[in-house]
Amino acid sequence: MTRSGRVWLSVFFWAFVVYLFVPLLLMILMGFKDSKFIGFPIKSWTLDWYLGVFDDGTVLSSFVYSLIIAVCSTVVSVVMGTWLAVLLSGRKFAGRFAVYALTILPALVPGIISAIAFRVYARQLGIEPGGFAIMWSHAVHNVPFVALVVMARLSTLPRSLGEAARDLGADPFVTFTRVTLPYLMPAIIGASIFCLLLSFDDFVRSFFLGSYDPTLPVLIFAKLRSGMSPEINAISTVVLILTAVLGVWAERSSRRMNREH
Amino acid sequence: MTNNAVDAGARRSAAAGDAADRRPFWGRLVNWAPYQALVALLFASPRRQFVLLAVLPVIWIVTQHLGPMLQMLQVSLLDAYPIAPGQENHYTLANYARFFSESVFMMPFLRTITYSAVLTVVTMLITYPVAYYLARHVKRDHQLALLLLLLIPFWTGEIVRTYAIMILLGNNGAINLALKTLGLIDRPIPFMYTGFSVSVGLIYLTALYMLLPLYSALEKLPRNLSEAGADLGAGAWTRFRRITLPLTLEGIGSGCTLVFLISTGYYGTPVLLGGPNTTVFAETIAGFFHVAGDQWPTGAAFAVIMFFAALVLTGVFARFISALRKGDSK
Repeated sequence: MTRSGRVWLSVFFWAFVVYLFVPLLLMILMGFKDSKFIGFPIKSWTLDWYLGVFDDGTVLSSFVYSLIIAVCSTVVSVVMGTWLAVLLSGRKFAGRFAVYALTILPALVPGIISAIAFRVYARQLGIEPGGFAIMWSHAVHNVPFVALVVMARLSTLPRSLGEAARDLGADPFVTFTRVTLPYLMPAIIGASIFCLLLSFDDFVRSFFLGSYDPTLPVLIFAKLRSGMSPEINAISTVVLILTAVLGVWAERSSRRMNREH
Repeated sequence: MTNNAVDAGARRSAAAGDAADRRPFWGRLVNWAPYQALVALLFASPRRQFVLLAVLPVIWIVTQHLGPMLQMLQVSLLDAYPIAPGQENHYTLANYARFFSESVFMMPFLRTITYSAVLTVVTMLITYPVAYYLARHVKRDHQLALLLLLLIPFWTGEIVRTYAIMILLGNNGAINLALKTLGLIDRPIPFMYTGFSVSVGLIYLTALYMLLPLYSALEKLPRNLSEAGADLGAGAWTRFRRITLPLTLEGIGSGCTLVFLISTGYYGTPVLLGGPNTTVFAETIAGFFHVAGDQWPTGAAFAVIMFFAALVLTGVFARFISALRKGDSK
């Protein structure tokens, strides 16, 4: 490629990075503005909106509510996703493609449709809208992501490890818990954090399967419908920073563990 | 598998052996008679072992992954829901007929399909150069750091990022301020609550689903192919058109499929960024669930129609891509 072509390409790349970050940085900036009115110019600065978040009981309680839902749904997704990955990476069997297709199905269903399907299914099963219904829909939705990540890691597992364990007299259960599972740990940790973030940030399922207690994204949505305010900026900024820190940490730690293996 | 990794694996299993000696738990468990009897029972044959492994996950995907979709299909065919006590199910196609008989539903439907299709193409055009630069012109060590940088905004949820776009595009937002400062406009341009703001928001939300497949396709592409093309006298554009593009069609196909499917399903973003003239089908479907319960079958039928339409379109698109690939390999 010509020199000028390469320069244009790098300019385009960095313009894209700016496009990704500028809206978020503006949002953070507005949270420090000393006026209820969102927009420029900013004349003076304040921390009041952040302090207000801690005073507002509904924000803290919906934060905790989202976190509990995220942790519970992650446990279910990780167990089922790993189990499906092990099944699909093992010996060939009739109907394997059908099992694979069904495993990734929830990732391909558009958000609103999956929310509606779960709403209908929950009603049929007698599950009331609320925390459990939200947790359940998140758990199902996140299984494909775990399965794909774990399958990728399983494809690099040296066959000799399992054979050696069997030669040394380990039964399949011991082989799995002492050889396969430790090998999968980096992928499982990475997938867990990813599930936590997906569940914590999910809006459409939480909105359609929730009752009166809102999760944090649903609370922000409700507040936004009644108008923009710097308080929302403060809440969103806290969420943004927590998410970014957790994401970067997960990515780095799973890469580090990948290198060690 | 590199030697290094095998060595590391061997070291690890040796370490696992040491741990077993220090912690007698596993040794005790394995030699415990009831445990041995249980293992003999469970893992008696490879067949039994396989059934043991398969039964729970297969039940899970059938009841949890397929179940909600089938249930939605069933409810979409009912004439009333919930069914009154003592009543039988009555199946009907009336809910589907409603979509075709009342024209008010057609506009949001067509709008959603058009938005999603156009956005998919635009997202592809924007992210291809980004992925290309990252995969081909950045040093290996820096690639991961830059990829991590690009991931940060995408870890943030739909609603927070939609709000960020509202601040960017508002009448007192950053873009209007910049244009006013430059003296290009006197009064703010109303970006918000239009098809434009919905599009910007959806591109912002879905770009990563395009970027990652494109990046992995471009990264896998052997560099020497392009060099060989150059040696044979092909210019930069010819090399791109004849070598890079055909060999990354698969990445383009999966990125477009993902972005198209996902963007038809957003509800919060079009509600917040859109106006009365930009109602998408997700809002139409949701409407049937916010009012009285007897509208559920219609809402379910509309959701089925949308999913079916999206699947058919992505299927057609996949055929188109594979025809292109076959045409190129000739």
